[in-house]
Amino acid sequence: MNSLLAAGTSPEFALPSIEYRLISPILLVLGMAVISVLVEAFVPRAHRRVVQLVLTFSTLIVALILVVMLAGQRAVTAAGSLAVDGPALFMQGTLLVLALMAALLVAERGVDPAGDAFAARANALPGSIDEREFTKRGWLTTEVWCLFLFSVGGMMLFVTGTDLLILFVALEIMSLPLYLLAGIARRRRLLSQEAAMKYFLLGAFSSGFFLYGSALLYGFAGTVDLGGIADAITANAGQNGLLIAGTALIAVGLFFKVAAVPFHQWAPDVYQGSPTAITAFMASCVKVAAFGAMLRIMYVALGGVRWDWRPMFWVIAILTMFVGSIIALTQTDVKRMLAYSSVAHAGFLLIAVVATNEEGLAGAMFYLLAYGVATIGGFGVITLVRDSTGEATHLSSWAGLGKRSPWVAGAFAVFLLSFAGIPLTAGFIGKFAVFEAGVAGGAGWLVVAAVLASAIAVFFYGRVIVILLFSVPAADGPTVVVPSSFTAFAIAAGLSLTVVLGIIPQPFLDLAEKASIFVR
Amino acid sequence: MTASSVLAATSNSGAEIVFWVCATLAVIGAVGMILSKKPVHSALFVALTMINLAILYVALSAPFLGMVQIIVYTGAVMMLFVFVMMIVGVDASDSLIETIKGQRWAAIVLVLGFAAMLIGAIVNGLQGVPDPSLVAANAEYGGNLQGIAKIIFTDYVIAFEVTSALLIVAALGAMLLTHRERHTPKATQEERSKARFLRYAATSELPGNLPPAGTYARHNAIDTPALAPDGSTVPASVPGPLRERGNVRPVDVAAEVEVEEISEGKTVVAPINDEDGEQR
Amino acid sequence: MSTTHYLVLSAILFSLGVLGVLVRRNAIIVFMCVEMMLNASNLAFVAFAQQNGNLNGQTIAFFVMVVAAAEVVVGLAIIMTIYRTRRSASVDEPNLLKY
Repeated sequence: MNSLLAAGTSPEFALPSIEYRLISPILLVLGMAVISVLVEAFVPRAHRRVVQLVLTFSTLIVALILVVMLAGQRAVTAAGSLAVDGPALFMQGTLLVLALMAALLVAERGVDPAGDAFAARANALPGSIDEREFTKRGWLTTEVWCLFLFSVGGMMLFVTGTDLLILFVALEIMSLPLYLLAGIARRRRLLSQEAAMKYFLLGAFSSGFFLYGSALLYGFAGTVDLGGIADAITANAGQNGLLIAGTALIAVGLFFKVAAVPFHQWAPDVYQGSPTAITAFMASCVKVAAFGAMLRIMYVALGGVRWDWRPMFWVIAILTMFVGSIIALTQTDVKRMLAYSSVAHAGFLLIAVVATNEEGLAGAMFYLLAYGVATIGGFGVITLVRDSTGEATHLSSWAGLGKRSPWVAGAFAVFLLSFAGIPLTAGFIGKFAVFEAGVAGGAGWLVVAAVLASAIAVFFYGRVIVILLFSVPAADGPTVVVPSSFTAFAIAAGLSLTVVLGIIPQPFLDLAEKASIFVR
Repeated sequence: MTASSVLAATSNSGAEIVFWVCATLAVIGAVGMILSKKPVHSALFVALTMINLAILYVALSAPFLGMVQIIVYTGAVMMLFVFVMMIVGVDASDSLIETIKGQRWAAIVLVLGFAAMLIGAIVNGLQGVPDPSLVAANAEYGGNLQGIAKIIFTDYVIAFEVTSALLIVAALGAMLLTHRERHTPKATQEERSKARFLRYAATSELPGNLPPAGTYARHNAIDTPALAPDGSTVPASVPGPLRERGNVRPVDVAAEVEVEEISEGKTVVAPINDEDGEQR
Repeated sequence: MSTTHYLVLSAILFSLGVLGVLVRRNAIIVFMCVEMMLNASNLAFVAFAQQNGNLNGQTIAFFVMVVAAAEVVVGLAIIMTIYRTRRSASVDEPNLLKY
């Protein structure tokens, strides 16, 4: 192996400078995730839940404080692989707020008489003697918290990474724990495992596209650094096959992650099968992280060829908005309905990507926050409406819920109004900001299509609200469980943020605007 | 001499032969993966592709990656696949019913178009680009392996560190889903033995082994119940399924009397002719 | 040999992987097809490393192998759990998720 290890004139090895302060939130979350694995190993079973809860919530809160303290920083660090800038910090903050709310749902233990939302032991066959014994002993799958923290860390990295390699690794750190979390529901385990498998296979498929796209861009630019790719585009004017194909494949990989039509097939099945708390987590946080990365790649690296990729995004955006809204109309399951509504929202968010201007970035960031809080709130409500077999998600059993529990039904109605984009809710402001950016970015016709799609969406959300509030409740309908303070707090937070962002949006819009420049 | 230096030393036609042979085999592997009915065959075809890719890596002056490809992919990943198939049962072949009619043909047409576009893009993108080599880059670091190591610990140091998170998640996930836990401690041999004798005291269930079929009877066939020393039959000595089906051979009275006589010393054992006339 | 040959080969392997994912219904085979896609990407990275005259592509391919190994562990664990729950891993057979 002489030539392999030939002693040559190797240049002095210089460690790259890493500004640990700038990436401290990410390091904290990932480090505490490792510690929570150690908690699993060494803390007695009886105390694990409490220790993990304290650890998770304190980690997320401290990380949020660190992010807030970093506000205003703009730097590329760690040998050019992480960009700590306005959008990264804003989205890290959004992710941490949403993760805190989702963690409250995951921690809930009061609505299911058997325990929390997860199987007592995921390795025991559902319905077996073992499983009954584990359930009787009240064992809990506290590994959920390790996976949760790892996933949050991956998401934060995904919105911060500024070369395609770190983005790929972050994508996997975000996704692998989610595949596992999707498959360990306590009730309807088979459905949950199938959701996990579907999510996994399609997730791996999409990361294959992302990777091949990265390879083509590397071939074009000689580097995977987003800034380096942008420089290469400036240097080589004119069309290049590698650049176009690489852009398309990376976009396809990201379209899968944000569930844009026609890459959305997995979303309804996965959202329906996963434990609802995890559905809330992935519907909100994954969308934030994936759009964060998509905006960064498209703005920073590929902004120079926006005229080439815009047509594709136009088509996908229009398809996504219309297909999402129209199929949502036909759904009879509340979870599937919210899944299709989240597909439609991906379409509206794509307008902000097409806009490729600062307003688009700011609008998308606000939209993601508004959409995320309402989504977690909405799924939180779904965990409360139960019958003897678990959650009652069929729309017919939700009929007349407003007569029985006006508060819960009212909260759900507010979330739906926000999804529909009715004034005085956060969703309206978000949509308005994105549409405005679209017009400014020269995508006027796309915005016209979006307004039409919104009209369809208003119709379908309105239909659900009518069923919810004004129809006659079924005699053997489900009951609304009174949750512990965890879920109650999550729903209340979602509700108040939805209303506050809708009534006094200006401070948040200003913040998003100030944060809306990517550093290269 | 490494393989790469061999390749570099040989003429251009040598490298061309290596490419065409390995490329053909790799494509055959990929096609075989799709066409095989059984997952195990698919796995072996994939392994074929991966080994050939390893050789191509060496030809592309990436000897280190060639080795890693063989060790990690063919050695670990594909063997893990085969292991799992063996554990879950290899007969899990596809049902050939198509869920959506014509999906197969639509997919083939779609992928053909996709491949054509991809190849077109690559050929277009590389048009007129000179064919450089890695000699300069390797020399800069003092070798291929040194170069990769340097890049891992400088440019991609963050990616390298966070990859550990990925590995922890993988280990944790495998434990979570497949490691079976006990809810009660496993009984020791002593405890099981004690339980057996306590049961004997309570229900007079025999603590020892059951007599095998045919003990003290005239036949030792599996369907012949054993005879206890007192001449009675022991039904439990015949396997359960035979008892369920009523296939227990009756012990004829004459034999029982004979046993009794033998035990009392009245008769000497004489050769007996079996039904088929064979002397026993 | 020009790198174009290698890249065309990688494009063919990638497309075959995509085709396999689309036409096969067995979870394990679909997963192997995904692995084929990742391998094709690696070949592209290595070939482009030679084309570009820098070692970054080789290093990325090395990372991809690590990531793929982790992915395989998680994926096979999920597939095994489903097999244990029901003795089949056909992607379409679990019709609980269909309408």
